[in-house]
Amino acid sequence: MSESSLDDPDPSSRLRSAVAAAGRLLPAQGPISIFIHHNTLHAFEGLPFEEAVVRGGELLGCEPYLAEDRYRAELARGRIRPADLAAVLREDLGPAAGELVAGRLTRLELRLAMLGQPVRAISGSELEWILGETAVRKHPHLWQAALRAAAEGPPPPAPRLVRHRDFLVAAGRGDPDALVHPLLIRLCAAFLDQGLAIWPMPDREEGLYRAFQRLYGRGGGPPEPWARGLAAELRRAAEETAEESALASLARLGVPRDEWEPFLTATLLALRGWAGMIRQAELRPDRMPAQAPPASLVDFVAVRLLLDRLAAAHLDGSPPETLRARRAPPPPPPVSARERAFLLFQVARSLGWSPAEVSPIGGEIEAFPEVDRRRVFQLAYERRHRIAILDALAAHVSFPAPAPRFQAVFCLDEREESLRRHLEEVDPAGETYGTAGFFGVAMYYRGASDARAVPLCPVAIRPRHEVEEEVVAERRATARRRARWRAAWGRFAHGFELGSRTFTLGAILSWLLGLYAAARLASRVLCPRLAARVRHHTERLVGTPEETALALEHRPDVRPALGEQAGFTVEEMAAIVRRLLEETGLVSRLSDLVLVVGHGSTSLNNPHESAHDCGACGGGRGGPNARALAQMANDPRVRRLLGIPDRTWFVGAYHNSCDDSIATFDLHRVPAHARPLLAAAGAAMEEAAARNAHERFRRFEFAPAASLEQAVAHVEARSQDLAQPRPEYGHATNAVCIVGRRARTRGLFLDRRAFLVSYDPDRDPDGAILARILGAVIPVCAGINLEYYFSYVDPSGYGCHTKLPHNITSLLGVMDGHASDLRTGLPWQMVEIHEPVRLLVVVEAPLERVRAVLAAERLVRNRWIQLAALDPAANVIQVFDPRSGEFAPHRPESAALPRVSSSRRWYEGRTGHLSCAVVGGGVEG
Amino acid sequence: MSAPELALAAAVLPLLLVAILGLALFVRRPLSEPATGILVAACFLGALAGFVAAAVRMAGIPRREVPLGEWFGIAGHHFEFRLLLDRLSLAFAAYAALLCGLVGVFAHRYLHREPGYARFFFLLALFAVGILMIVLAGDMELIFAGWEIVGLSSALLVAFFHDRPLPVQNGLRVFVVYRVCDIGLLAAYILVHHELGTGRLTGLFAAPITAGTLVSFLVLLAVAGKSAQIPFSGWLPRAMEGPTPSSAIFYGALSVQAGAFVLLRLSPLFERAPAARAAIVALGLVTAAHAALVGRVQTDAKCALSYASMTQVGLILAEIGLGWNTLALVHLLGHGSVRSLQFLRSPSLLLERHHAENRVGGLPAPREPFRFLPAGARRWLYRFALERAYLDAALERFVVAPFLGAIRRLDGLERAWSARWGGRR
Repeated sequence: MSESSLDDPDPSSRLRSAVAAAGRLLPAQGPISIFIHHNTLHAFEGLPFEEAVVRGGELLGCEPYLAEDRYRAELARGRIRPADLAAVLREDLGPAAGELVAGRLTRLELRLAMLGQPVRAISGSELEWILGETAVRKHPHLWQAALRAAAEGPPPPAPRLVRHRDFLVAAGRGDPDALVHPLLIRLCAAFLDQGLAIWPMPDREEGLYRAFQRLYGRGGGPPEPWARGLAAELRRAAEETAEESALASLARLGVPRDEWEPFLTATLLALRGWAGMIRQAELRPDRMPAQAPPASLVDFVAVRLLLDRLAAAHLDGSPPETLRARRAPPPPPPVSARERAFLLFQVARSLGWSPAEVSPIGGEIEAFPEVDRRRVFQLAYERRHRIAILDALAAHVSFPAPAPRFQAVFCLDEREESLRRHLEEVDPAGETYGTAGFFGVAMYYRGASDARAVPLCPVAIRPRHEVEEEVVAERRATARRRARWRAAWGRFAHGFELGSRTFTLGAILSWLLGLYAAARLASRVLCPRLAARVRHHTERLVGTPEETALALEHRPDVRPALGEQAGFTVEEMAAIVRRLLEETGLVSRLSDLVLVVGHGSTSLNNPHESAHDCGACGGGRGGPNARALAQMANDPRVRRLLGIPDRTWFVGAYHNSCDDSIATFDLHRVPAHARPLLAAAGAAMEEAAARNAHERFRRFEFAPAASLEQAVAHVEARSQDLAQPRPEYGHATNAVCIVGRRARTRGLFLDRRAFLVSYDPDRDPDGAILARILGAVIPVCAGINLEYYFSYVDPSGYGCHTKLPHNITSLLGVMDGHASDLRTGLPWQMVEIHEPVRLLVVVEAPLERVRAVLAAERLVRNRWIQLAALDPAANVIQVFDPRSGEFAPHRPESAALPRVSSSRRWYEGRTGHLSCAVVGGGVEG
Repeated sequence: MSAPELALAAAVLPLLLVAILGLALFVRRPLSEPATGILVAACFLGALAGFVAAAVRMAGIPRREVPLGEWFGIAGHHFEFRLLLDRLSLAFAAYAALLCGLVGVFAHRYLHREPGYARFFFLLALFAVGILMIVLAGDMELIFAGWEIVGLSSALLVAFFHDRPLPVQNGLRVFVVYRVCDIGLLAAYILVHHELGTGRLTGLFAAPITAGTLVSFLVLLAVAGKSAQIPFSGWLPRAMEGPTPSSAIFYGALSVQAGAFVLLRLSPLFERAPAARAAIVALGLVTAAHAALVGRVQTDAKCALSYASMTQVGLILAEIGLGWNTLALVHLLGHGSVRSLQFLRSPSLLLERHHAENRVGGLPAPREPFRFLPAGARRWLYRFALERAYLDAALERFVVAPFLGAIRRLDGLERAWSARWGGRR
């Protein structure tokens, strides 16, 4: 027993705080059915980005950047230019760049040479093989010269061993985690299960530790030799709480108190998906889809340490208390002269040195190690992209904006950029706006055919209001009848699913429905679109009637199931509408028709479906928000309060970003004078959506070049196809966020890569509106961008790798195959076309206002996003340098933008990322 | 074309596919995705059409043998290959071609841009060859060859994602279980051959053999392994490491039911071995009960489905043991379809739950079963199910570990003796 834990006045509070601190490093992903994008390394945001990716990567065993070879390929194809590397290195080295390192070579030249050709640190038998078999043999004199110039170096840092497992693995005694994890995974999955198992875990309402103790504390348990003492151990400590058990285990494992935090961190991270989900269930029980068992990370730690202890003792053959001291590996040997000579040899080769020119610059080479080279590559990669975007913004001349005939407000989502661009191309009299896609309406919403209400607002907000969709009075009888049919059908279908897994019912269903299942299998595999249409028509027979209305009005007598208040008061509605009109700058330009377009996505066989929905709606679908906002803005009392012109009418709509369909709401209420205009705008929207489908189409490999109709049919089939792991590409390729007037970006082809936020700098003298907008927008966009960055840079470490073996577990997440850690992050199929660059935020506002609002922001200061300010009055851009805290003017490299007559002209026949171009605007080409 | 020609042509198609895909892989020039997709679809569509046409031509003829040739023969022993066409084999062959084709079309989209795309289709085609050999075989030689091919392709697909350790470990485990159980089929074949001088099935059906009961039990050993019956059932959930479409066809429909098919095929043999039939019934029922119990506590989609498969395959075996062959065939084909569809749809589970909840208006929370038992017994039973009836652990502790220990002791003895006699080096 370690002395220190006895001396401590309150070891259990120390334990709790150590567990809490370690817990903050666990993945923060909640249940997968409400997928919320967030910075994968959120816990490290207090550090500068470049430091955080290295520190986080070391702790989590993940890659900080792409591999050098990947960057070198980008260099070869011109995506990174040598000038970018030189500029980054110059900034990196400062005055040291020009110093001579080998008599006649500057440090800058040396480093550029090291970036141009691979310089691999190789040791052991791999080195001997290379020396014997490859390039070295062709240049024996150079090799000899390098060998003469190189000397032995200090030993590399010893690998960090923390857990008993690390020591056992290093000593070749086997991996205790291979024993512990299968059991622990089963336990966590059963404990957290949201209804997948027919038989729920007994006693789980008493917490994981107690349930485990009751289950495994009785005799006749698992016959595995390592777990032989488990039942006795649990019975002996029957009265202990989880905390006491964890403390006892720590003592028995011989972990002194000052090592608790790193030890527990490593222990939790060993199965971090499951530990993270336990923590999420503890912190946000309200977000569990069905039931929230009383989860506690301390329980998890107690169970885990107990199992770890038994497994380590089993493999080691003696009590684990002194294991870490006994099994400490010998320190690593010094870096041999041959290893260092090989580095020198590679550099000499890439510099084209003759043997006589080789000089001892080993230290200089080692001062620019692999991780630094990758960092420089990444910065150069981002620099090229930044220059291209800023050049385009600086060169783009605003189109003259006539008074709009109609306007459309979209979500700021970068996938809506193309839809907006096409809409403006189809009908130049239309004008579009972008704002967070919940449109300021934060609510719990229950649709007429939904079983429960869901929050539709950013995850940081807890809605106060609940809104229900109701079937209109004259259709209620039909609705009730259909609901009964629907319920019967639902019970049958669900009963079938569960029943087919049981003994008798499973047999009966196989006898009776085998042929039907075969026909369904064939139809859904061979013609998914037709099968889906048939299914939808059948469903519509028992579906909720389409004549519904939102019960938006405040009802003081109704107690809502969720939230505090049923419906909104007139004042609340007016405040919401006012805010939207102010933030977008619509307030002074209202036309006769304003479309409010929310978005979401539907797809089949896709556990990550919710990740394609609207981030501003907290992974929900924004149609109801758009509908609610339109209804609020059309309310005569609200209009009186805000002075909205009588002729202006708002219409809510919903864009499905997967099949590119558009739905509009409450058309029967549209007044006669607005109907012709709505018909025209609606037709333009349909056309724009079809063109949008066509533009998306180019990214799908092997999708044949096609007409608009074929493209629409294709994306529709994609969304209904069981076999389609890429129903849409989601946020992949996102890279830019532009906050400002649409005039500055209208007609600019941004390749679906830019979040577009409307903001009118002329109507916000004190910057209050800007602060409000950015406060909501930056965390959401940066979260999306960084999640894509990390899932792309290390698909199996930060992301959840390929979807193909994914296995839905506990209705909470996915595992790889039959028993793995819960996989968090994004699957490769979602990110494969992404470019990992940090979000470039461009704000159209006076410099001082941008500085006041953003310069102190942690994400900016620590370089998790890039920031630039666009002058509202001129095409002048200033780029923020977080190191100096100053803005520096952007000097465009090219002043001309390509001009084409339409978006299609620009993208047709090309599949990769596209640079900016001016499209439409009456240009021939 | 006559029925034998049609069936033969249909059976050769997947073989051609294996040759083409395999050759392309061998020279490191895998076919493009669209080309592979078209080839696979055309091959299985052709095979399906061939089997259906052959079945039509066979109307009224109960059974036909199609000799393919003799490998070699010595006095009294003939190693021949022949197909046996009848209702059972043609129905199952058509079914296998249909499922392989559907899964091929599905996987063509599902595995798009996957690095192992070409390898997957090669293994799928190989599997189809194996299954068709088992199904159409007219002698035990072909059954055994097909049986081995099916086992090998299954294990390789379980280990499809070979850059991670778990799929490889589990693939190896599946392979080892298969190989151990294959001893049964091989030994049965040798016994039959020894007595009859040929592995011809019609010969086996015609005359009782003296070792009939022993042969039946040996076949049952092989079937228990391939169809994941007790005590070998632990491999089935572990096989869920591969891509979803291969799990669907292997463990929902064809591979896991191949054992049941072989029992149907050899049913004349079992008719003369009542003890073996009783054993089949017992094995099937115990497995079904065990799988139904264990399946109840599974918390992930694919393991739940794999235990559901195991339950039904156990029941099918019991039906065969009872002699209800037609019922068993209908059960087998129906179950294969239902389960394949469920496996392919398993990533939709969240969406389906959501729909079901909305339709019903809130689903009831699951309730603890067996409430007539005392709480302690229920917990014991729950743990028993959660630990998958301790089958794997028990096999490891009571079979594998002693076996390895014995081998190690023998190895030690050998070293000691050879050191004594050969002199120390």
